Amino acid sequence: MTIQLCILTRRRFDFSRLLNCLYVLFILLLLDFFSPESGFAIQQHSHAEGIIVHQIGHFFFLFSMLILIFTVTGKGLHKQKGWAMIQISAFLFVLWNLDAFAAHLLDEQLEIVQILPQSVFKMQLVTHSDSLLLAVVYYLLKLDHLLCVPAMLMLYLGISRMVKEHRLANPNKEDR
Amino acid sequence: MITSYFPILVVDVAGSILMVIIAMLALYKARILQGLDPDNIVFHYLLWISLGFFIFAVSRSFGHILRQFLILTDNADIWHEISAYSGSVNTVSFMLVGMITLFFKQTWDINEKVLAGRKNLEKTHIELVDLNQTLENKVIERTELLTSSEHKCRRIFEQSLDTIIVTDEQFQVMEINPAGIELTGYHRDEMIMRKMVLGSFFAQFTEWESLLKKIRTHEYILNEEVEFLRPDKTSVMVLITGGVDYGAFGCAKTFHFIIKNINDRYQMERQIAQADKLAAVGELSAGVAHEINNPLGIILGYTQLLLKQASSDQKDDLKIIEKHVQNCKTVVSDLLDFSRKGPSKFTKVDINKVVDTVMKFLSNHSDFRHIEMVLKPCEGDRLTIIGNEQELAQVLVNLLINACHAVEGRGKIQVQTLKPSEDKIIILVKDNGKGIEKENLPRIFDPFFTTKPVGQGTGLGLSVGYGIIKRHQGSIRVNSVENEGTVFTITLPAEAGRS
Repeated sequence: MTIQLCILTRRRFDFSRLLNCLYVLFILLLLDFFSPESGFAIQQHSHAEGIIVHQIGHFFFLFSMLILIFTVTGKGLHKQKGWAMIQISAFLFVLWNLDAFAAHLLDEQLEIVQILPQSVFKMQLVTHSDSLLLAVVYYLLKLDHLLCVPAMLMLYLGISRMVKEHRLANPNKEDR
Repeated sequence: MITSYFPILVVDVAGSILMVIIAMLALYKARILQGLDPDNIVFHYLLWISLGFFIFAVSRSFGHILRQFLILTDNADIWHEISAYSGSVNTVSFMLVGMITLFFKQTWDINEKVLAGRKNLEKTHIELVDLNQTLENKVIERTELLTSSEHKCRRIFEQSLDTIIVTDEQFQVMEINPAGIELTGYHRDEMIMRKMVLGSFFAQFTEWESLLKKIRTHEYILNEEVEFLRPDKTSVMVLITGGVDYGAFGCAKTFHFIIKNINDRYQMERQIAQADKLAAVGELSAGVAHEINNPLGIILGYTQLLLKQASSDQKDDLKIIEKHVQNCKTVVSDLLDFSRKGPSKFTKVDINKVVDTVMKFLSNHSDFRHIEMVLKPCEGDRLTIIGNEQELAQVLVNLLINACHAVEGRGKIQVQTLKPSEDKIIILVKDNGKGIEKENLPRIFDPFFTTKPVGQGTGLGLSVGYGIIKRHQGSIRVNSVENEGTVFTITLPAEAGRS
């Protein structure tokens, strides 16, 4: 309808405006689903809703990080070291989201993988059809902090860099 | 499959702790960044996103550590109970981060607009400052020009030898320069505070009315010759030029007048005209007197011869003839005196002595008995001239007799001698009599002009006096105000200044 209106009014179609509308719609849908419990709503909800909302949340997080990456590139900010580091951070969070999404998919949605800790040092990894590959993949996916901690570190370094650059550019300005 | 749980446990717990620490540090740095430029919306945005990541890190790490703890302590059932809540909080936290992140583009666009606006504002500010500076420079420049122009105009106004008067629409004096104060004889404050009208300087109100008519018709007057009357009742001939000024920048309409004192020139012109006239009359009189003098001599001779031989009846008639012939001879003699061209016998004459002698002589005369005779001789230098004492005494006698007639036997006559400079001596003969009528003033030096009744004056006294003073290379002027008095001013060259 927006596109039709634009054609009728001979105005240039603004994709960013459409994107903004989609964001808002998406957020409203998520807010409707963010609780895994169904007892507070009039409609009855199954227990699966919790993981689905969580997974959608991961997608939303991933999507927002992708948007951030493209926006930083689109605005030419990636040429600045601080923003480049934030862009790397966003990229690592994208990977982390994919990792977390895949792990949740395997153990909570498809339920083809299950960890049974036996002690601090040992655990039993139960996979569907005793697939070793699935076990290895899942084991690696469970090491997701190897992605999110560097991502957070890059965010910190990026902001630190920006502080340093700003201080160099404005030597007379003091912190407020 | 049995495998090592330790790497997962270590990465999970250590990673969770590191996540919280790094997120906290990132939040701290973002706060510093925002503090460096509180007006920068992108820095605000980074603070918010850092806060979101911090919440996300705390909620997630707390959940992970708790989970590991509960599983390893065989409390998996408890974890199963609370995992839904932990997961929900975790979901909300990273959705919050996602939401904040999604507004980055909008935030950046707003920031760009703000920065562009600020840049434009700075540019405009610089332009304004520049314009302001230019304006200030122009104002200074114009002020200097204006001050210079004002100074120039003020100087012209103050230093002008001609009178400059500015009046309002009702012709009330608003400004008058020093020359004007000297010309009019009034004080500046008196003229301005009392709102004196230009017309009040005029001797004849009809002249002012006539000028007023011209100004109202043509809005200007050019070289109009009028007579001003000073507070001391002396009159001054002036040439007046003026026009209207509609003013600038909403100023009220004013009139500007330039008044030139032409009194000296006017007097000189009158004197020249008088001199020319008298010279012509003198020539004529001399010729006539010479032609008449001889026949009169013959008539008188024969009359006197006949008187010796005549009978007593005839003697009376002959005496009448003799008397009238003598009168004629006196007139002829006066005429010859008036027109005399030949050199008289000139010697050093003390003016004070002449004046004193004449005053003493006349004060004994019966006509002067009730008149206050005042002599104010110049003290100090001797007032010596080269001239003829008898002739000068004759001039003074004539003037004093005229003054006596003017005061009609009662009043005051003052004779004053002055030496204003080394080469000039002045004799003033003042009386407080009835004065000379204005229309008679130009004619008083004309031969045979008299206002006295027939038989009381020949009208030659002043003419002869004029001739004598001219021969002494001097001048004689008269100022008279009706019913107030007359002043005769005789100016003679002093001995020292005589070439």
